[in-house]
Amino acid sequence: MVTLDLAQISVRDANTAMRAAAAQGEDIELVNPDARHHLGVGLVAPVKVTIRGSAGYFCAGLSHGARFEIDSNVGWGVGDSLYDGSVVVGGNASAIAGVALRGGEVVVKGNIGSRAGQVMKAGTLLCCGNASFLAGYMMYGGRIILLGDSGERVGEDMSGGAIYVGGRVQSLGADAKLAEITPEEYADIYAFLAKYGIAFEGGLQKIVNAGSKLRYGVNEPVSRPLSYTVAEEGTYWNAKVAEDIHAKALIGRYRIRGYGAAKAAPHFNDIALKIDPERIHAASDALATVNLKTTLGDRNGAKPLELSMPVLIAPMSYGALSKSTKIALARASKLAGVVENTGEGGMLPEQRAEAGQLIYQCLSGRLGWNIHDMLKADGLEIYISQGAKPGLGGQLMAKKVTKELAAVRGIPEGIDLRSPSRHPDIMGADDLVIKVEEFREATGYAKPISIKMGAGRVRDDIKIAYKDGFDFVQLDGMQGSTGAASTEVLENMGIPTLAAIQEALEGLREIDAGDDMPIVLMGGVKDGVDAVKALALGASAVAMGTAALIAGGCISCMQCHVGNCVVGIATQDPEHEERYKIDVQAKAIARYLEAVRWQIATLTKALGHSDFRQLSRADLVALTPEAAAITGLPYDPDYHPVEHVLTEVA
Amino acid sequence: MCGIAGIFFKNAETNANLGRALVDMLDGCQHRGLDSTGFALYENTFKGLRLRFIVDDDSEATVARVKTALAQQGAALLSEKREGASFVVEVEYSGEIRPFAYAMEHAAKLVSIGSSLDIIKDVGTAHDLDGVYGIRSIAGSHGVGHVRLATESEVKPEAAHPFWATGFSDVAIVHNGQITNYWKMRRRLEARGFEFRTDNDSELIAVYLAEKLAQGETLEQALEQSVDDLDGVFSFLVSTKDGIGFAKDRLAAKPMVMFENDDLVAIASEEVSLNRLFPGRPLSTTEPAPGTFRTWSH
Ligand SMILES: Cc1cc2nc3c(=O)[nH]c(=O)nc-3n(C[C@H](O)[C@H](O)[C@H](O)COP(=O)(O)O)c2cc1C
Repeated sequence: MVTLDLAQISVRDANTAMRAAAAQGEDIELVNPDARHHLGVGLVAPVKVTIRGSAGYFCAGLSHGARFEIDSNVGWGVGDSLYDGSVVVGGNASAIAGVALRGGEVVVKGNIGSRAGQVMKAGTLLCCGNASFLAGYMMYGGRIILLGDSGERVGEDMSGGAIYVGGRVQSLGADAKLAEITPEEYADIYAFLAKYGIAFEGGLQKIVNAGSKLRYGVNEPVSRPLSYTVAEEGTYWNAKVAEDIHAKALIGRYRIRGYGAAKAAPHFNDIALKIDPERIHAASDALATVNLKTTLGDRNGAKPLELSMPVLIAPMSYGALSKSTKIALARASKLAGVVENTGEGGMLPEQRAEAGQLIYQCLSGRLGWNIHDMLKADGLEIYISQGAKPGLGGQLMAKKVTKELAAVRGIPEGIDLRSPSRHPDIMGADDLVIKVEEFREATGYAKPISIKMGAGRVRDDIKIAYKDGFDFVQLDGMQGSTGAASTEVLENMGIPTLAAIQEALEGLREIDAGDDMPIVLMGGVKDGVDAVKALALGASAVAMGTAALIAGGCISCMQCHVGNCVVGIATQDPEHEERYKIDVQAKAIARYLEAVRWQIATLTKALGHSDFRQLSRADLVALTPEAAAITGLPYDPDYHPVEHVLTEVA
Repeated sequence: MCGIAGIFFKNAETNANLGRALVDMLDGCQHRGLDSTGFALYENTFKGLRLRFIVDDDSEATVARVKTALAQQGAALLSEKREGASFVVEVEYSGEIRPFAYAMEHAAKLVSIGSSLDIIKDVGTAHDLDGVYGIRSIAGSHGVGHVRLATESEVKPEAAHPFWATGFSDVAIVHNGQITNYWKMRRRLEARGFEFRTDNDSELIAVYLAEKLAQGETLEQALEQSVDDLDGVFSFLVSTKDGIGFAKDRLAAKPMVMFENDDLVAIASEEVSLNRLFPGRPLSTTEPAPGTFRTWSH
């Protein structure tokens, strides 16, 4: 056994030493822990770890196979995303004990704080004392055993699993109900208690999902809705408005759709590149002479992502998109030397194998999130929000929640899946910094950690991202697309992409942050022309979602959420997916990315630069007063839009 | 966005540890906010009233303005000291505090007025402040402290916590969270003649509580009502001449842990801060239940 003294060494050194010892099969004892955070985080080995005292946040989090014993108390999130193994806490556990469990056993001898077992998927969480409120909040599976009182609103919005209460059920949460317990369940629970030496022979009450909120009730009319762009200008009660009222009169709630905002707002078309006509012909061999290579994410010493050009594939989930589409995007990203992103809902092995570099995204529901895929990723990303629906959690209609998809996400099959609008352990910038540190500890400080955020209060949010030590930011304006969101939010929430980058840069300037935190801008970046404008405004790179999908066969019907995508992109239905030819579409996406590369190189050269990093605001003018007001660029409505210039080059 | 800590000594023998205890506790949760740090310390050693001001670059002129204003208000200067970003005076003054405070605020950025309270706050970490202000050697019966990660307002000494309940001597607040009915509450207090120096919701809590105390309510009554009246997520500590108290919102989104024995009560955002007081010793701690409050006084 190896003994490590936390009065002598840092948590980071202790975690490194624990991994080394565990690799030799040695058990570990930690002394003087004094409630420090992140103890044993990311440990993947079947050894015993004894903690002589109290541990802080995320003790044993993201671990697999180890047996942890903590003599005294633990802070927030004990056993966070535990894959398998056990954690026994001698004292009390603070909030979100057993959050996002994927398996294994968490046993707390004392009391537990609020939201215990939030978004857990499997495994057992046992509390011998009393629980605070919202135990089992939005749990998807597994079981929680509370030998004492339940706390208020137990089982709130759970969609799977079971909660057993030995004491009083103080109140049931929304969509939770009491159910019968079978003798087999009793036997199983008593055996579990006996295994941990807990004497309890009393009766229990069982709480399960009542099922009244798992479905949306009346479906939306399936007729193809009017395009958002055909509504005649100037008519207030146009056909689009009437269509919307009719649909709502039928379903009695908000409508859901996919794709981006359709509302006209100042965008890249409203600014132009100031290309000197004299230079146009000099731009012909741009690809050979302009540097487009760049790296992202080494601000804190991680191994950076390597980009052949300043373009990424936007995070899009396996779930919203078919597996075939995710594979095609991964393959195309590798062909083009850019970075692919898992989006919400876990990493597919095929996607990992095909992508050259892959960012792994962590969302509030922790769907599919686990230590093994974290270790396989090239970058980790904390999703806070996205441009299309800032402030809302993910939605995936039941039709798309297939067996395979449910397995990757760790959830029950066939439910209208919702995830919480915020992370269980990120209530503010102060918690976020502890979360980021957890990911760094779990993966040995080797991977860039980015944050995805929709454009709301960008000026404040970007400062938090900087101060919390993110390696880069993925910033998404209101023109950004989605797989499913309510139309109200899609069209009315957030600020335009142009305003987002402007506020972000101003915010960073206000805190003298310099330019060491790159911003990847997205939300309606259609092509290389938009990319050059974004880079000139101050973005370090851009990401493309919709453009990549269209290149790979999307017909822009805006029905991504329904699950019957006729081209096999936004569907999980095998018959529809059949139509998607991975190899054909991967090549098409890759060819589009090459066209984007050509555009960026040519325009950069035509603007008189040899490296895309030389692009600056001096290369831009605003074509409308609104765009000028947002960006602060000079207003010059007579400037030739750049598209003309490109046609001349071609 | 921040971390908070508070300590209350039950016996005067341990008062010498006040500054050291708070520096250690805040150092323990400094990761929650690296921008600025602050302390509200109850020292019981002042000759008269102590006033602390933040002085900017033009400090000579500011100091002169403070002195003129003191004379105009009939406050006799007993001592004066420049220290870090601040200028500290002790005065003999027997009039009403609120008009005095408002008048002095026009002369310079006033941080606190107290017969035993001194608020020391600045940009930097707990250790940085200790280096400049010698916090560790300050003795006293109780105190609260704060580490801040600035999100909305700037990183300046005056934007750091704790906040003094402007106009009420010896009341201070440290707060972690966000009050969402800030403007509604503020307008109500402004309509009754209270002035606010910042747009910070922590200042609002301080003034809100102090106003209740001034009307003769006990600190417990004031805290009880605060849980109903304040909307949002919050965990805060309040300190008065006699003691400390806490209140926590019903959502319990902001952490708070406490430890009590025969000698002291210690409360902090995270247990790691409490353990700094007792290295190597697991503590039997409790978390205040959602929507609760409590006070301790001498
Ligand atoms: C089908 C689909 C699924 C998406 N899923 C995610 C997701 O899981 N996580 C995320 O951060 N953003 C998601 N997004 C948003 C994109 O990452 C990105 O913000 C947006 O598409 C950018 O705008 P663009 O499509 O105009 O390029 C999704 C978008 C689409 C179209």
